[in-house]
Amino acid sequence: MTDTASTSPGYVASARRRLVSISPTALAQLGFIAALLLLWELGARTLFNPFWSSRPTLIAVRLWELAASGDLWVHTLTTLQEAGAGLLLAALVGIPIGIALARAPKVARTVDPVMMGLYGLPRVALAPLFILWFGIGLFSKVMMAFTMVVFIFILNVMEGIRTIDPDHLDLMRTMRAGRFYVVWRVLLPAVVPWILASFRIGVGLALIGAVVGELIGSNRGLGWYVESSGGQLDTTGVFSGLIVLMVLAMLANQLIGYVERKVVTWR
Amino acid sequence: MALTDTISAPPRAELANLRIAFPRPDAPPLEVISGVSLQVGEGEFVAVVGPSGSGKSTILRAICGLLKPAGGEVRVNGTRVTTPPPHVGFMFQKDALLPWRTVADNIKVGCELGGTPRQKQPARVAELIRLLRLDGFENAWPRQLSGGMRQRVSLGRLLAYEPDLMLMDEPFGALDYQTKIAMGLELLRVWETERRSIIFVTHDIEEAVALADRVVVFSARPARIVADYAVDLPRPRHMKALRSDPTFTHLTEAIWSDLALPS
Repeated sequence: MTDTASTSPGYVASARRRLVSISPTALAQLGFIAALLLLWELGARTLFNPFWSSRPTLIAVRLWELAASGDLWVHTLTTLQEAGAGLLLAALVGIPIGIALARAPKVARTVDPVMMGLYGLPRVALAPLFILWFGIGLFSKVMMAFTMVVFIFILNVMEGIRTIDPDHLDLMRTMRAGRFYVVWRVLLPAVVPWILASFRIGVGLALIGAVVGELIGSNRGLGWYVESSGGQLDTTGVFSGLIVLMVLAMLANQLIGYVERKVVTWR
Repeated sequence: MALTDTISAPPRAELANLRIAFPRPDAPPLEVISGVSLQVGEGEFVAVVGPSGSGKSTILRAICGLLKPAGGEVRVNGTRVTTPPPHVGFMFQKDALLPWRTVADNIKVGCELGGTPRQKQPARVAELIRLLRLDGFENAWPRQLSGGMRQRVSLGRLLAYEPDLMLMDEPFGALDYQTKIAMGLELLRVWETERRSIIFVTHDIEEAVALADRVVVFSARPARIVADYAVDLPRPRHMKALRSDPTFTHLTEAIWSDLALPS
């Protein structure tokens, strides 16, 4: 009894602190989202036919049904896997290539036109080819996401290394620092913010890659769900898929922001 | 005995008829240094002054092996310099602190690269933090410090490297007047505790005379040595007393006229 009496005020206080700790920014952001949803709902009830644009309440009901049947998790996990694997693969391949090209300017100049050409290519147009090459399974979507993102890593890491203060490198030379020390203590720390920025940009692009792959050929995933709902003129289904994709992108962005604050404390 | 020792030991740094030229496209190489000879002894504090663009900094880059001379040679501790020589530390006008390392960890870079055994590093870093009056800022990030403090950290890193020869390229040139004077005094205080050879490049004549044992005056480009003064002022030096000291005023005026500046 005395225990509960002594702990409960503390619990109340910490709960209140948690409530207060929702920042004004977050509150404003949530308010903005609520206002948009409200406008949408009211508009679809008064101004236009919900057949064209559905309604937030209809979408909420649909998401509830999809969650209950388990389909929501299947589609979401599928797309998340494709985009996530593509993003990680792009980082694993892109970061070393970026470092290597920054360290070998002659090679970088040689491959630059081709690389910029590939970067400028609407890689969405590669989707049919990738389905042909890699099948309609997971791998073709991973490759789509990968091609969307890998250039972001290469170009960002190169730029990050290019912006390293030459005084830092001169300093390391005068102090006779070894190659390993320079890469580990100067190059990588300097490039970390650029890598995190690449992840931030890459999340959305990886999702686009995965979804485009699904639109062209697949039997599950959020892109497939959007496509098949569209085929049945089911706008509520289309918007349900899009909303989940948006939420995924927003959550990933928050996660990367959190990692940035934890890792790059010195900025 | 002591005399023969100093005679037999090679000078810390020696420039013999050094020539430095930069290649230019569609033009003959730009000669920056034309035949400079200079010796810096152990524990000697030499300041180099000259008009801006006269190649003062270039000479430091040649001494620490960042730059290849076009003629003549550089010797450090008797060994000809082709790559960065050991035990030579460089301090730039910009502090060049690693922004992702705290004050203590930036100073530790000097220990790590200077070969201080790992278990002795924390004690040495703590000692330098005390010496440079950075107490309480051990865990601060460089971005949180003022320009003067950042240069103190930079000096700490340089000392942690345990150099025999410190090359300082206008290290306080970017600081405001008061901070610059304070940092000069700080450098002298530290130098009197941990005595090492210094070559200190500056365009500030008063700073050069106030700090150094010797002031070497460079001409405009291509640079030659036009004068070499011994600064016969007692140590420790006090800024206030210096300003009215006839030796100080006499020397600064002589250097002003060497540089053909309106006095």
